Amino acid sequence: MDNKISRRRFLGLMGATAAFAGACSRPNRGKIVPYTRRPGTVPGAPDKFASVFPEAGRAHPVLVVTREGRPIHVEGNDLHPDSRGKAPLRAIADILGLYDPDRLRQPLVDGRRSDWGQALAALRPAFDAARKSGKPVLLMTGATSSPTRRALIAELGADLPLSWVCWEPACGPQERLSLEHAKVVVCFEADILSGEVPSWVADFAKNRRGGTLSRLYSIEGGFSLTGSKADHRLRLKPSRAAAAAMALVRALSDPTGAGLDGFAKENGLSVDLLRGLAADLARHRGAAVAVCGPALSAEAREAVSLLNAMLGAQGRLTARSPEHAASTGLGTVKEALEDASQGKFSAAVFWGVNPAYSFPDAALWKRALAGVPVKARIGLHVDETALECGLVFAENHWLESWGDHESDSGFLTLQQPAIGPLYDTLQGEDILLRLFSGAPRPEYRLYLEEGWRKKVYSTGGGSFESFWTACLHDGLLRREARPTAAPKSRPRSAKPSATPDGFELVLSPGLAVFDGRYGGNGWLQEIPDPLTKQTWGNALRVSIADAGRLGLRDGQVVKVDAGGRAVEIPVLVSEGQTPGVLCAGLGYGRRTGNVARGVGTNLYPLLDCDSTSPFLLCGVSLTPTAAVVDLALTQGHHRMEGRDIARSVPVAEAPRSREPRNIPTMYPAQDFPLHKWGMAVDLSMCVGCSACVVACQSENNIPCVGPEQVRRGREMHWIRVDRYLLGEGAALRAVSQPMLCQHCDDAPCETVCPVNATNHSPEGLNQMAYNRCVGTRYCANNCPYKVRRFNFFEYTADKEEPEILAHNPEVTVRPRGVMEKCTFCVQRIQDVKQIAKTQGRGVRDGEVMPACAAACPASAIVFGDLKDPVSRVNSWSDDPRGYRVLEEVGAKPAVTYLAELTNPLEGEVRHG
Amino acid sequence: MAEALLPEGLREPALTDGAITLGELDDRVLSVPETRPPAKWFAAFALTSAISAVGLACIAYTLYTGIGAWGNNSPVFWAFDIINFVFWVGIGHAGTLISAILFLFRKRWRNSIARYAEAMTIFAVICAAIFPLIHVGRPWLAFWLFPYPNQRALWPNFRSPLLWDVFAVNTYFIVSLLFWFLGMVPDIASMRDRAKDPRLKFAYTALSVGWRGSAEHWQHYEKAYLLLAGLATGLVLSVHSVVSFDFAVSVVPGWHMTIFPPYFVTGAIFAGFAMVMMVLIVVRETMDLKHLITMYHLEVMNKVILGTSCLMGYAYMMEGFTAWYSQNQFIHHAFKQYLWGAYGWAGWTVLVCNVLIPQLFWSSRLRRSYPSMIFVAAAVTIGMWFERFVIIVMSLQQDYLPSSWRLYQPTLIDFGILLGSFGIFFSLVLLFARVLPVIATTEVKAILPGYQPAHGGDHDRA
Repeated sequence: MDNKISRRRFLGLMGATAAFAGACSRPNRGKIVPYTRRPGTVPGAPDKFASVFPEAGRAHPVLVVTREGRPIHVEGNDLHPDSRGKAPLRAIADILGLYDPDRLRQPLVDGRRSDWGQALAALRPAFDAARKSGKPVLLMTGATSSPTRRALIAELGADLPLSWVCWEPACGPQERLSLEHAKVVVCFEADILSGEVPSWVADFAKNRRGGTLSRLYSIEGGFSLTGSKADHRLRLKPSRAAAAAMALVRALSDPTGAGLDGFAKENGLSVDLLRGLAADLARHRGAAVAVCGPALSAEAREAVSLLNAMLGAQGRLTARSPEHAASTGLGTVKEALEDASQGKFSAAVFWGVNPAYSFPDAALWKRALAGVPVKARIGLHVDETALECGLVFAENHWLESWGDHESDSGFLTLQQPAIGPLYDTLQGEDILLRLFSGAPRPEYRLYLEEGWRKKVYSTGGGSFESFWTACLHDGLLRREARPTAAPKSRPRSAKPSATPDGFELVLSPGLAVFDGRYGGNGWLQEIPDPLTKQTWGNALRVSIADAGRLGLRDGQVVKVDAGGRAVEIPVLVSEGQTPGVLCAGLGYGRRTGNVARGVGTNLYPLLDCDSTSPFLLCGVSLTPTAAVVDLALTQGHHRMEGRDIARSVPVAEAPRSREPRNIPTMYPAQDFPLHKWGMAVDLSMCVGCSACVVACQSENNIPCVGPEQVRRGREMHWIRVDRYLLGEGAALRAVSQPMLCQHCDDAPCETVCPVNATNHSPEGLNQMAYNRCVGTRYCANNCPYKVRRFNFFEYTADKEEPEILAHNPEVTVRPRGVMEKCTFCVQRIQDVKQIAKTQGRGVRDGEVMPACAAACPASAIVFGDLKDPVSRVNSWSDDPRGYRVLEEVGAKPAVTYLAELTNPLEGEVRHG
Repeated sequence: MAEALLPEGLREPALTDGAITLGELDDRVLSVPETRPPAKWFAAFALTSAISAVGLACIAYTLYTGIGAWGNNSPVFWAFDIINFVFWVGIGHAGTLISAILFLFRKRWRNSIARYAEAMTIFAVICAAIFPLIHVGRPWLAFWLFPYPNQRALWPNFRSPLLWDVFAVNTYFIVSLLFWFLGMVPDIASMRDRAKDPRLKFAYTALSVGWRGSAEHWQHYEKAYLLLAGLATGLVLSVHSVVSFDFAVSVVPGWHMTIFPPYFVTGAIFAGFAMVMMVLIVVRETMDLKHLITMYHLEVMNKVILGTSCLMGYAYMMEGFTAWYSQNQFIHHAFKQYLWGAYGWAGWTVLVCNVLIPQLFWSSRLRRSYPSMIFVAAAVTIGMWFERFVIIVMSLQQDYLPSSWRLYQPTLIDFGILLGSFGIFFSLVLLFARVLPVIATTEVKAILPGYQPAHGGDHDRA
């Protein structure tokens, strides 16, 4: 098999204009419309395409940046209101998924490489048999936000008996939140600031800068990003969350709040705090919202729903996700598999789900497979499910696919491919279209256009072609879709649930690998978990008290037993974890894939198929074993030790003015004639989601080093998010601080390089000349911020196609033995300066956006010209909250940090 | 005559033991290359060569795969590589002190040990020079540290202490080499005259650069020797001061201390004397030179070791005092880590080996006993190596931002290279012993009793 993609074929993959269509042997794949209107592709200039990153029933609008016809970077679509112009972390990282060497390159029949004719011919008889016999075909897919796909499946269901199960293994019921006008937010085991939905982070951050701050409460058993950022955190076992919500409901209707005291005392919470929370909610009716986490029980969901109804948030600040985006529960999947095991299906097609890995009951799965004569897997890799299916249909990546999606607020968004299929793959919808009976159907692209022509386009606004082009350009249709009705909440008194013995275990999808589908993505495996800073694996978070009681230490493997289902996983002793509560991430312990195999522990087997809230397990027992695993953590020490590094002040004590510090220096002042680039980071807005880290990695060709090297401390991320714990016990919180090269005016690294490989530019950048560096590493020793990274091994040169196709051609790749670090995205600065020069104007404020600033959902990072008196970075740098880290070292950093503002309840609130 | 009236302490010390004639001296020292080395020598050389081979293999592996083969990480970007470099450069200082500084001070007891000490300096600097070469990420470009004319019109960065190192260590090596070689010329000439084997004769003829022993030659020799001794004297103090600037000029807490130059120089002399003393014990026993390298010499060296040990103790105290007095939280923390941090055991090793154990030398009986001498010398060598470990690794391991604090773990390759450097050093020492004159016979002849010109009477008796 030809591993490389020949140049000719590569040119043929650019689906831009008809002129190129003649160069390739495939039929016209249609016109994709770039975001910047330009005739054809200009070599050297990027083209951006508006598209959608669809994941688990949620549609994230994105812009795909392509160079010479291939996608190299994913960022947010600023035209789309739902995303606030930001793309989620996994969307940015999944560019690597397009170029994954493990991807299927053609369909497989019984494990042998085949072609589409043969592969589809092997499935058609089963479909025909279904039509004749009436025994349905089982179609198991992930949740989807695409109305056209749903229509297609409905049509298929009319063509043959079809049983469609829509299942997301790691997601509970999803919410839709509008936090922009929320002054008080109460999260019940809900990590709204994890960055998975960038608009939530954006809306929250807007209300934290100044003026009247919003207030965030987090009621949780673990210590999530939301809990880290919360103004008040109540440590409560998840099984008690329903009772807590009902107690607040009662307090809202009964101002004396007597019931609250009892609840507080029962659960070890501060009475003052609970009363304060209730009073706060009462004061802010109409501008307060409660959020229920996906792991909690139906009872808790109803209680929170009731609370929202009383707060007047229902339908305005919060709504349930549309029905189609929801996935069925495990119970329905279990029923389907039981039916399969009894031979009730003529065929099974698994598309976008991996039940061999994520279905908890492995025995039932085996029986189910045995009962189905023909099994097909539509997917990107040979994963656990594909191994057990006779037919494996190689699927297009989302960057190669067409589609339409309903975004959160009801906008219809179009997904267009940014590149033709790299291999002999088909879009899932196209595969289904070829399985219809009767005359051959058109391809999905035409099906989509036809559908829009009929249902979406109205003749009033010009020709369909111009309408279609406009939609592809913008990425959205500026038209409201049907609003979803607010779910009716039934007031019901909560049954006091017995506090179970043993631990409570909360399982959530990993922030990086999600439900496990991204296990093969090295960037995502290496992104440090925002809470624990763990990479390449998952660990069980245990409270300090429990660890002390059981004699556990970091990395020690324990056996977790939940109702007879057991796995072994290492622990991480976590400050902030509530005693009696355990937390862990799903999506690890894959069995296939060169990168994913064997990383972490698979926790899906712990789930209870018959439970309505499978991600919350009660009555869990822990048994320590003798084995100890070396966890790959990027940060081991989380206290500032009295050093002034990341400032966090209550808003009442926020500084009103700022005195410049006079640090003596023996260096002459430098002159920056034209520009002086600087950056400001608002710690109030940063939530620690680490999207900046992935965006930087994608933009700057930063290599992935693997778990062994991370254990040794050699990860290569140019920007990292440091996490510092503040306070103790119930008053514990954490501040996240993005740390990157500070581009110091009197940089300690510049003086000590013996070969002058690092020096200062006349625009204020600390430059790194890779080809001059001999690698003495003195500069890294002398950097007080330790932001320099050394290529300890040859990380890049041995890479081949297709992996190297993900590289950004504007950024040099660095060989072994060379030092590298953040450049303030100098390639972007240069690009903008050149464009401005050709247009005969100066650089406008906000025109240069380094990758980290562009990716931050909170927009906490601002970059610009400090010499421009009206630039945002200038006003942020002069903010009274502003300060520089380690200013006393005298390096004169160009990055100003703005102290985090917290908004605790006024008056004495004694934490429990 | 008159000397019988002098009290014991003021008499000339016994620089040699027993009666030795000029001829005997020559035979004893200069005949060594003509004889076949004993089996012991071959065994020892085989061992040191094997160890060197291990080291060279580890170096080759590092050059092939990258610095990642070592334990270095972020933030500990320098570890064994620079520890070993500083360690070996330090060891070289004893030789130069003995041969140059003591020469200028006219301390005649140095005469019999100066040659070997100076040789050890050369070999130590060779071992040291390996490390800056191999520790860079791209060693094939290490020549960029030298200011040579190039078409890119690039100078190196003269503000960098690493570049000062380049000049200092190179100067040290060249001057020491010249000094050592110059001193050997008359002895090599004697060996040339005595040599019977034609290949040896050819080699020594070339090396002796036409020495005839004429009065004119001796005049040139004495002047040049004096000049080089003067140059080398300055180097004893400057080279390790410059090496200490690698640390003192940086911003790392625990490195940025003005005490470093004198502290390092003292430490270098301390470690060097211990190593020289250990080697001389072996030399005087195996090569039967007990009457030339006497117990007096060893005792004097032990006194120097004791003295520098006390100075090191003072330096550690001053470091602690300065850390406290600075009221700088970063330096406070660094110093507390030295003794009570993750590698606190290394800090205590340093104190015990460098300050406590050498105090044994207050006892004159222990100063003259082999077991205690070897014990103290080994302790000092280990202690001084760990002192560099404490300074380099422990300061880097926990510096300004706690988020970057991380432990350091050396790899087998690190140990292999460290061991290999010892192997290379001792291989060279063994080779030197068999090939070149180990004692400066001309200088010793100047102090042999009974052979100095005297005004009336033979009163030069030790």
